[in-house]
Amino acid sequence: MLESAAHVGLQATDGPLSMDKFGAESARIGREVADGYHRYHIDTEEVDDVNPLPHRFLVTVGKVGLAKLISKEALTYFRPWDPHFDVILSRPCTYGVFSGPLGGFIPRPKLCVGCLRCEVQHPEFVKVLPNPDLAKMGDSYTTHGHIAAIDEEAKKGMVPVRGQGYRGRFGGPGFDGMLTDMSEIVRPSRDGIHGRELIGTAVDIGSKPMHLSFDSDGKLSGSTPEMFTIQVPFIFDLPPGNLESTRLAEVVESTSRGIDTLACLDAHTVARNRLDAPNVVPVLDNAEASRASEFPRARLIELRSTPGRPWGWDAGGFDLAREVSDAIIGIRIHFEEGWQDRMTKAVESGAKVIHLLADLHGRGSDGTFVTELFKEAHMLLLEQGRRDTVTLLGGGGIVGADHVPKAIISGLDAVALDLPVLFALQGRSNGSLRQRAKVDGTLPRELDQEWAEQRLTNLCGSWRDQLLEILGAMGIREVRRLRGEFGRSMVVRHLEDEAFEGIAGYVGGGC
Amino acid sequence: MALLQDLMDAYQGKIVKPSDALLHKTTTLLQDGMNARAFGEFEKPKALGDARWTDELILSTWYMAETGEVPDKLNFKTGESDGGFDRLDFQFLQESDWLEHSEAIDTKLPLNRRGDGKNEIEIDIPWYGGGMSYGSVSVNVMMSRARNAKHWNTLMSTGEGGYPPELYEVKESVITQVATGYFGVEEETIQAAPIIEFKYAQGAKPGLGGHLLAAKAGEEVAKLRGSVPFVSLFSPFPFHSTYSVEDHSKHLDWIETVNPKALLSVKVSTPHDVDMVAVGSYYAGAHIIHLDGGYGGTGAAPEIAKKNIAMPIELAIPKVHKFLQKEGVRDKVTLIASGGVRTADDIAKAIALGADGCVLGTTDLVGMGCTRCSNCEGGPSGRGCPWGLTTTDIELQEWVQQDWGARRLDNLYAALQWRLRDILRKLGLSNVRELRGRTDLLSYIPKEAGE
Ligand code: SF4
Ligand code: SF4
Repeated sequence: MLESAAHVGLQATDGPLSMDKFGAESARIGREVADGYHRYHIDTEEVDDVNPLPHRFLVTVGKVGLAKLISKEALTYFRPWDPHFDVILSRPCTYGVFSGPLGGFIPRPKLCVGCLRCEVQHPEFVKVLPNPDLAKMGDSYTTHGHIAAIDEEAKKGMVPVRGQGYRGRFGGPGFDGMLTDMSEIVRPSRDGIHGRELIGTAVDIGSKPMHLSFDSDGKLSGSTPEMFTIQVPFIFDLPPGNLESTRLAEVVESTSRGIDTLACLDAHTVARNRLDAPNVVPVLDNAEASRASEFPRARLIELRSTPGRPWGWDAGGFDLAREVSDAIIGIRIHFEEGWQDRMTKAVESGAKVIHLLADLHGRGSDGTFVTELFKEAHMLLLEQGRRDTVTLLGGGGIVGADHVPKAIISGLDAVALDLPVLFALQGRSNGSLRQRAKVDGTLPRELDQEWAEQRLTNLCGSWRDQLLEILGAMGIREVRRLRGEFGRSMVVRHLEDEAFEGIAGYVGGGC
Repeated sequence: MALLQDLMDAYQGKIVKPSDALLHKTTTLLQDGMNARAFGEFEKPKALGDARWTDELILSTWYMAETGEVPDKLNFKTGESDGGFDRLDFQFLQESDWLEHSEAIDTKLPLNRRGDGKNEIEIDIPWYGGGMSYGSVSVNVMMSRARNAKHWNTLMSTGEGGYPPELYEVKESVITQVATGYFGVEEETIQAAPIIEFKYAQGAKPGLGGHLLAAKAGEEVAKLRGSVPFVSLFSPFPFHSTYSVEDHSKHLDWIETVNPKALLSVKVSTPHDVDMVAVGSYYAGAHIIHLDGGYGGTGAAPEIAKKNIAMPIELAIPKVHKFLQKEGVRDKVTLIASGGVRTADDIAKAIALGADGCVLGTTDLVGMGCTRCSNCEGGPSGRGCPWGLTTTDIELQEWVQQDWGARRLDNLYAALQWRLRDILRKLGLSNVRELRGRTDLLSYIPKEAGE
């Protein structure tokens, strides 16, 4: 279903859903959507900062130098009959840094965009420096560049557009080493972004039967799809580290409801704050699987391994949760030794949703990056002939809009967002952002619900539009078709091998 | 009263065409300031430069644009992007085998290799100016580039924004671009041009078309584009008349009818199948295949596109060069590379990788003062480039005067040609055409352990 069910169909899914209702329910929602057509759209709106990032540049002006310049220009240009005010009062900055009441004597560096005209024009007394406070933000993976981009996206809800070309390094590690393809002569295209043609970003969560069976009356007889649709291929994951709070849970719950996606929240928080809803994914420890019955409105419940229990597949908890709940039961699996076995066993036991987790630098415990890990998971299911019976969600290292399509190309159905939520809400972090459990972050003290919801909505709107840019350039009409399309990506290392093979000193493999 | 009004206007920074005195003051300060930095009289600005265009590359370009010579104390060859051109070097001969540095080292490049009776164009240097539309840049910038192109017997593309009447003065050096919005495409501008360039895609925003923000689409710009002033202008993607190589061929037939002698250039970006696209374009009748790599310049593009979509030019050139060779058509078509070509060293490396020549865009702008601050699309002021380059603001555009701009580019091109000859002679080559595809003359600078 490409269009939104949120506005016409969700009321019907508000109550408990039974397994046998999924197929019929989907069909009914589909019909209602067709009748009450609504083009899916995320309503973005610029919001003010409550905890602005340190500004990009520091601007210092030597007061004596400036005073001398003004005196000199006054003497040179001022004539009573032609005072040349335009010359004497002209300032080098078109962005207003020197346009306060006291001009350059009290510059306003937060307006500086670093064009450097002032410093070049007046090298004797003007200096523009990158702000070290900004550079200090984040860590080696989630850099201040990512944080500034998320901040801008959450503020404006728009696709960041700038002049001049790319300014960064050639290729790079992780997601930077992957490029996406484009087609010279294709449709749909940019039109999709401007709404004249549809590019779908909806994805299905759950399982599709490999075929449909009908009885002699033409009625469905075999298994029907156990799935539901969300409108964007990203969901909100459990807040990492010390970020869990009731207020944040309320914000991600309401935002995910508004844009028709999912929010994974600790089951205790959900229960305590009565947040059970179709868009909320309670996350339970395996040992507490029986508590799945406490969330009758959930469409998806996830189980995670119980802390302190030995690593391995525990079918008991999964079976119990299925027994007591009509929701789809998903399994969270960390990329630790033996994850392939655990995933296979979970799927063999009937799990329809696997939620894969790398650390927040996008690495598994053996150091492999998520693009490789997601690909391995996707290929494993493909080889087992089960890919369409399982939804792969995944997270870890997703801190830029480009990471979403790249993770999907690597094999995911949808991506789980963790740290971007912190930075979209103008939170701050201390220390390394690698291990989920150890993230030390602070959110603005007064987290106004409306403000926070709009910030997250803006982020989602911006990331969805950027996804449309990528899909449009490729000529792909819906994001579901991007899953596992390795052929529509290019790996810089491989391209280099092809291009530089035979050049003296080139040894290949990114060395 | 009038004086008081003048005072208020000046204090509030009212935007008007600058007076002669203001023009003189501002241009003098800017030009002197650039020189002072380039000549090392002040330290390098700490906020200047990025991995692709380092502070030294920008300052060395300013130096060359002022003096016509390469600097001693600044790196004018490479950036610090850690890959591509920045990890390639030349395997020069021993000094005793170097040729003399001489004007006899031939840098000419023929553009028509089809022998089909159309314009036989040979440019004196193996590069020309890439498309920057009127609207994305001012007439002063456009004319500075076009006049310099004429002076160097090379070319400059209009970009997609029409043909300001001044350009007719130098029309033999101006390529008319036909892009997906067809802005400014008229029979006269096609008939005036020695080459017509079909822009299918742009490296910095492949597959996304173009967008001129409303603030930059003022009266004059709108007139030339046949649009309403101060309305955002979109060039769609792709050509809505093109669904196949056959349709593309139809485009080229159309030009042939209007201007039978014109050479046809096809500008494409660098997807996975760029080699197939290139061969298809050749068979459709193109004389020039112009590849625009992913790290190229732009007046405005989504940040996500610049870094992620399509491949860098260094990786596309050998792919296309080898495929054209395999198809047996390599010597019948001119392969031009752009999108991240910054220096004479980059030009030589691109040619060694398999291109015939290059297109420069950002380099020209840097020569005229660009600091790569990325505010070309308007920036928070909405007025465009504060240096007067990518703007049509009535005040700002005056900071680049045509005589000065053309002189800067003339000097810059002299220095680039000097360095290109320097590279050729150290490789023992007396002709730039001998460099094409000579990857054996390149070396790769391996990464240090732990890099
Ligand atoms: S660098 Fe540019 S934006 Fe910043 S203060 Fe100077 S003139 Fe203004
Ligand atoms: S705004 Fe001007 S100086 Fe800044 S990058 Fe653009 S052209 Fe260069």
